[in-house]
Amino acid sequence: MADTPKDKIKYGLLKFIDLSGFKVFDPPVRLAFGEDPKKQISEIGKFMILPIIFVSLCIFIWSAVAPTHKTKSGAAPTPKQVWGAWEDNSRFGEREDEKLEDYELSGEARTARITEVESRISELEAESLKLEEASTIAAEKGAAITAKQIAPLSAQLDELKAEIKTAKASRKIALENLAAKVAAGESPASSVLTLVQQQSETAEAEKEKRKILDDQIKEIRDNPPESIKAAQLAANKAADEIQHFKKRLDILNTSNKEVKKAALLAKVDTDEAILAASTDPSEIISKSKSIVTNTENAASVDEQRFAPTATIAWQTKRSLATVFVGFLIAAIVAIPVGIMCGLNKIVMACLTPIISIFRPVSPVVWLLIFQIVVGAFFLPDPAKHPLFTTLNQDYWFGWIKNPIAFLNTNPAMIFSACTVAMCALWPALVNTALGVSAIDKDHLNVARVLKLGFWARLFKIVIPSSLPLVFAGLRISLGVGWMVLIAAEALSSSDGLGKFVWDEYQNGSSQSFANIILACFIVGIIGFFLDRIMIILQRLVSFDDGSSTA
Amino acid sequence: MSTTALPRAVEIYNLVKEYPNPYGDDFRVVENFNLNIQEGEFISLIGHSGCGKSTVLTMLAGLNEISDGGIIVGKKEIDSPGPDRAVVFQAPCLMPWLNAFQNVMLGVKNVYPHATKAERKQIVEHSLSVVGLADAMKKYPRELSGGLQQRVGIARAIALQPKVLLLDEPFGRLDSLTRMELQDVIIDILAREKLTAMIVTHDVDEAVFMADRCVMMSNGPKAGVGEILEIGFPRPRNRVEVFQDPKFFEYREHLLAFLEQRAHFKGSSRTFSNGDTMGYCDIIGEELEKTATARASSVA
Repeated sequence: MADTPKDKIKYGLLKFIDLSGFKVFDPPVRLAFGEDPKKQISEIGKFMILPIIFVSLCIFIWSAVAPTHKTKSGAAPTPKQVWGAWEDNSRFGEREDEKLEDYELSGEARTARITEVESRISELEAESLKLEEASTIAAEKGAAITAKQIAPLSAQLDELKAEIKTAKASRKIALENLAAKVAAGESPASSVLTLVQQQSETAEAEKEKRKILDDQIKEIRDNPPESIKAAQLAANKAADEIQHFKKRLDILNTSNKEVKKAALLAKVDTDEAILAASTDPSEIISKSKSIVTNTENAASVDEQRFAPTATIAWQTKRSLATVFVGFLIAAIVAIPVGIMCGLNKIVMACLTPIISIFRPVSPVVWLLIFQIVVGAFFLPDPAKHPLFTTLNQDYWFGWIKNPIAFLNTNPAMIFSACTVAMCALWPALVNTALGVSAIDKDHLNVARVLKLGFWARLFKIVIPSSLPLVFAGLRISLGVGWMVLIAAEALSSSDGLGKFVWDEYQNGSSQSFANIILACFIVGIIGFFLDRIMIILQRLVSFDDGSSTA
Repeated sequence: MSTTALPRAVEIYNLVKEYPNPYGDDFRVVENFNLNIQEGEFISLIGHSGCGKSTVLTMLAGLNEISDGGIIVGKKEIDSPGPDRAVVFQAPCLMPWLNAFQNVMLGVKNVYPHATKAERKQIVEHSLSVVGLADAMKKYPRELSGGLQQRVGIARAIALQPKVLLLDEPFGRLDSLTRMELQDVIIDILAREKLTAMIVTHDVDEAVFMADRCVMMSNGPKAGVGEILEIGFPRPRNRVEVFQDPKFFEYREHLLAFLEQRAHFKGSSRTFSNGDTMGYCDIIGEELEKTATARASSVA
């Protein structure tokens, strides 16, 4: 291979693709560099196009089947609805971010923002008016169309009703006549029974006919033309947008940090003025009290945060933070213990019963146990426990900006993290023990000949040679941890993707069904990327692999 | 024999390797193995596969427990491995996560605890350049061929400045060209460093070309020293000269004859009470010539 810069880029890219395990992108890269196009195109066809077609087919089947399955909270969501849920959720997230920004704005930026928002509102209102009109017109048109469709049916229905009425009357007369005959002894009594039976059957048939017509009319009424729905939706959306901007204006004008503080300080000023001039003892007391509390409040405004809203982005971040903490605890415990197990058969024998018994225990049980056991540390008032006050402080030591303050750590999060750690512990531990005990005997012989001490043997031979298996274990651990986390969050109501799913389930609307499917995809995609990261790490520490270079 | 006057570097007396059998009757691989090695002497240990020659070497290295008898190296009875007996294994056994330099340094750090960093570095660099790897110090094992990897293995062994260098079929996995190169490397090193060495091999040419004495082991179980053959070539040895010497063929035929015939007979092993053995080169009688001609005719 020639070592031109182009080739360097090419092989660099290919190496990265190989390292990250995205083998699928190998042929396109080679094709882009013009290497054996025929072969690459056939590879792309086989390993990219066909899978894409297959996945598209699955999505197509999904969108075809979903509407036919009616659940208690509406039809199962189609891919389109799930995408809609994604858009709604991301819009919600953006709006929350805007509100937060507005809350923090001060000085000229705030006034500039106010004019901006105001002008946007007037724009939107004009637009909304138009949409509203269009919606009304569409509704009228739709109503006309519906009426037109219904008219012949309702005429039929009226006819049928009249027919049924006359038939009913005639049946009544016939029955009465027969009864009279029976009473006179001209007919046997059983004939009345037969007639009643016959009549009830015809009545039933009439009812059936009527129901069919009724249903047809109802169907037309319930399904107004799509244009009406679309117009309605557009109008609603515009109204929603206006509401959002009005809320922003409200925040900017009244609940903004700076405004709040200024208002409180102004109050203090007026109170001070009154206090200076006052001669009434009770007024002096009340004003003094008010000055003190307001000054305190004004000072605390700086520390107040705009309460984080449970947007899906925030939930995801919290889930990631929780799984990271849990995984870290698992790794810190599992690796040293695993090394000890691998090195010493007695330690292994001591720990085997514990590992074998606790490994199969369900995460749900661990969660409950941790809620009780770990929860005891946070008594009596978890919110005031130093751990949480420290983790949720805006600034540490008054000047280091706390990067995790936004997570709003709480006991439930700790319990979830502990559960993750407990369940993620085992694969890492077992694999580490395996990796350590499976060291090449030759390497140990070398260590013996060289008379390496315990620590040199541990760090120069044992750990490096078991690293690939350790990382394989950590990879499984992270996968298990992520899976367990979602369940733990759902059960412990710790904010995160699991709780998101649980809340949506409790909501029980058709939109929330789409949200659950959306969360399912988000969980899956994040899990996939976590796994990839671990694969890359594993490959980097694998010395046998040509891709690792020190 | 003039060499007998030299001090003994290694004494192996009544060496036994026994593997316990769960049904009570223990399995003796090696029994009554006696051998003295003089300082600076190069011994080759040859025998059929599985006869226990590697077992003897690993016991000498201290990697294999001694069941009975004993081994004295430098006036001390050994009971564990140590850097005074450096081993070159059949596989290079390099740590794949360390480069050539670091692999050699691994032992050097322990053996020279009081040396300065620069001194250690010098030792490592010296031993790597002795084996011809001065340019490949920063290379990782996977970037080196099998032969070069084995050179690192040799460098690691000689960097310890051992009393005895133990070579356990060091070239068994290499092609014949590389093998010859490495044989020369070892011979050069031994000539320069005046090391005592023992090589386990089943290559007859190698055994004759490299060693001062060839120890032929009888077949196991209960293997011992079958015969000892003095190789009379002067050192330093030159491959071409040695291989053209008619004596080379005599030695070679002798070894082959032993391996083909005598080693198979149980109880044929000859052990000597004082642990020393007289040379056999003077009795390559008619018998051996016969075998040689028989072989030649069979080839033709």
